[in-house]
Amino acid sequence: MCTGGSPSSNGSQAEENNEHEQEQAATEQGEQALRTAIGSSTPEEILAEYGKNLKLLTLNSQVAELLTIIRDKNTSRSDFKFYADRLIRLVIEESLNQLPYSDCDVETPTGAIYQGLKYRSGNCGVSIIRSGEAMEQGLRDCCRSIRIGKILVESDANTHEARVVYARFPDDIGSRQVLLMYPIMSTGNTVLKAVNVLREHGVPEECIILSNLFCTPVAARTVVTAFPRMQILTSELHPVAPNHFGQKYFGTD
Amino acid sequence: MSATQTKQIKFYNPASSASSDSDDRSDVTEPLYIDPGVAVSERNCCPASPTTVPAKSVLESPMRRAGRRQRTTSIGNQTTTANPSECIIRSNNRTIYTAGRPPWYNCAGQQVEPFVIGICGGSASGKTTVAEKIIESLDVPWVTLLSMDCFYKILNEKQHELALINEYNFDHPDAFDIDLLVDVLTKLKEGRKVEVPVYNFVTHGRESQTKTMYGANVIIFEGILTFHSPEVLKMLDMKIFVDTDPDIRLARRLKRDISQRGRDLKGVLKQYLNMVKPSYANYIAPTMAHADIIVPRGGENKVAIALIVQHVHTQLQLRGFKLRETLANSYKDQPMPDSLHLLHPTPQIKGLHTFIRCKNTSRDEFIFYSKRLIRLVIEYALSLFPFKETCVETPQGVMYEGKRMESRKICGVSILRAGETMEQAVCDVCKDIRIGKILIQTNLKTGEPELYYLRLPKDIKDYKVILMDATVATGAAAMMAIRVLLDHDVPEQNIILASLLMAEIGVHSIAYAFPMVKIVTSALDPEINSKFYVIPGIGNFGDRYFGTEPSDEY
Repeated sequence: MCTGGSPSSNGSQAEENNEHEQEQAATEQGEQALRTAIGSSTPEEILAEYGKNLKLLTLNSQVAELLTIIRDKNTSRSDFKFYADRLIRLVIEESLNQLPYSDCDVETPTGAIYQGLKYRSGNCGVSIIRSGEAMEQGLRDCCRSIRIGKILVESDANTHEARVVYARFPDDIGSRQVLLMYPIMSTGNTVLKAVNVLREHGVPEECIILSNLFCTPVAARTVVTAFPRMQILTSELHPVAPNHFGQKYFGTD
Repeated sequence: MSATQTKQIKFYNPASSASSDSDDRSDVTEPLYIDPGVAVSERNCCPASPTTVPAKSVLESPMRRAGRRQRTTSIGNQTTTANPSECIIRSNNRTIYTAGRPPWYNCAGQQVEPFVIGICGGSASGKTTVAEKIIESLDVPWVTLLSMDCFYKILNEKQHELALINEYNFDHPDAFDIDLLVDVLTKLKEGRKVEVPVYNFVTHGRESQTKTMYGANVIIFEGILTFHSPEVLKMLDMKIFVDTDPDIRLARRLKRDISQRGRDLKGVLKQYLNMVKPSYANYIAPTMAHADIIVPRGGENKVAIALIVQHVHTQLQLRGFKLRETLANSYKDQPMPDSLHLLHPTPQIKGLHTFIRCKNTSRDEFIFYSKRLIRLVIEYALSLFPFKETCVETPQGVMYEGKRMESRKICGVSILRAGETMEQAVCDVCKDIRIGKILIQTNLKTGEPELYYLRLPKDIKDYKVILMDATVATGAAAMMAIRVLLDHDVPEQNIILASLLMAEIGVHSIAYAFPMVKIVTSALDPEINSKFYVIPGIGNFGDRYFGTEPSDEY
């Protein structure tokens, strides 16, 4: 599954790969013990474990605080929504960072040239109902007129089988970059269904960016295995997912 | 009838010698309090010291200004029109305007000790006139004038009665609160903010409102017993005694008290003979020995004043007041300091910069994209505050090890105008955050930053402060703002300076002067041009955001 450097590479990369192997070994050791502490995985470990398409939001203290507040069962609803919105904004900004771009030089008011870049137009968002909709505002705040599609995936109460019961997308979604929004992944089944629907509508796997807040290692592995070319962005990999997110955010708990 | 009238008026006219001067001149000095950036009602809160006289003539610069920053602010215009609402006063055929406060620290950000001039002399000897002549000829932009009258003690009822019948001795050293005076003067000398009491001569008590003063480049302290306290004497860099003939002083006093204050000859003479004259002989005249310079004939003595001014100039130059150009020309080719925290230069941040830097971006888009960028800067800045490990219970029943900020006492301080654009983002990420404001403008003539207005949360020293300015070029304004915060006792390590764009030179200057201040920015540009704009830069951020670009740009 690992799409990082292969151990058999040669030449100047030999040293790097050597390090890489060590890290991998360390990861495997670490996997034995169940990790609960935050920041337990370094970006290198994640890369080794899930490939280059799974990215974590840079975990600085501020993000750690947001995660802590959202997880805390004593957080009031108003605080919960406030801090969840902040985290969502950061994740959305980081997701947009994954979009393709091209170089673009512009002239500044001082007459000098700034070597900037330009994102391609033709993006759209897709939220998975209901909790994914919590992230729509964050996306709107960054991209004012972006089109947003929706998917409703329900899991059967008895079989836990997820099935798509509703989907509505822009007509030309097949030619767009899609930002798929879903905050909590415990098993990854819902996302699998949603991505399948998108593919049925002609969206190539590599044009999908999954924006996620909390992801379990199980779900990460499932999704990465099923869709290795899809980009995934999350803020935390943790064995216990805060499943109360949607209920608390929308106040239906 | 005349008796009642006299009595009424007496309430307003103290039987004091020293207070008389300031009363006479209130109409002259009053306009000096006005601060250009502040509504009249807010005057008391402005940092302007009561007597703020930037001495340079103002009527010359429109031609030169073309070479400087072009902008259409009122400050640019006020030099050409004598609009009474702008703080221009005319005195002795000269135009004086109240400017902001120029740097009171050297280019390493360190406080430079102000030059303190003490003026002593008998009642009605012309101390205030001498002080004003010095201020006028001094040609330095900021002077604080402190009068000993502010430090009269609060009278009890009995003393109050005595004062009414001209029997309280206002000329005795015991009439003054020397401890408070020493405290205020020490703080002013350290460049700190002080609250100076306002003495009410009717109630002989202190007003509830105080005057806020700041240490300036030059502080002038005047009063009848200026040289009395040894502690005060030690703080004076230059001691001037105004020696006017006693007959003339008595004549002035009689004229002033009788013709302007409606008091009777008998009362004035009684006070003079019983208290003013003995006090002069016992407490004031002997202190003449401490004086460096004795000025006979007071304010008319032009030669003496010219000599004093020359000496003060030499002293100020030695202390190194001069800022912006020194900053722009130092620290070339050095590695960036550790206190700089640059946001990861991701494609997205570069993309946002592309939008806001492009000169053709519409204001709508400019505002939108700069807000997005500001939000990221602020979020990042918050992560630099200290955090502590914590463990919380989750609804899933497991404990979760996380982090919480050590102190929630955070406040934002924006440097007007461009820094204001960042306030919304701070409010969006910190619930109920307090916001302070500092207005610093570049003096178009000298190119130096000047402090105009200041409003900070009350106990700002207990807060962690996010100082916001959209762009930092030389860093002169940011340094002044940091200096203001330090003067309010905010510890240096509690300050984070957040901005969208900085020039390398600005970062170096700030980091060199204040190594513990964390500097956060989303981009670093290598140069600044002769107008102190960053290159390639962003243009005038405030103008583009608020839509006040000079019209020739269209």
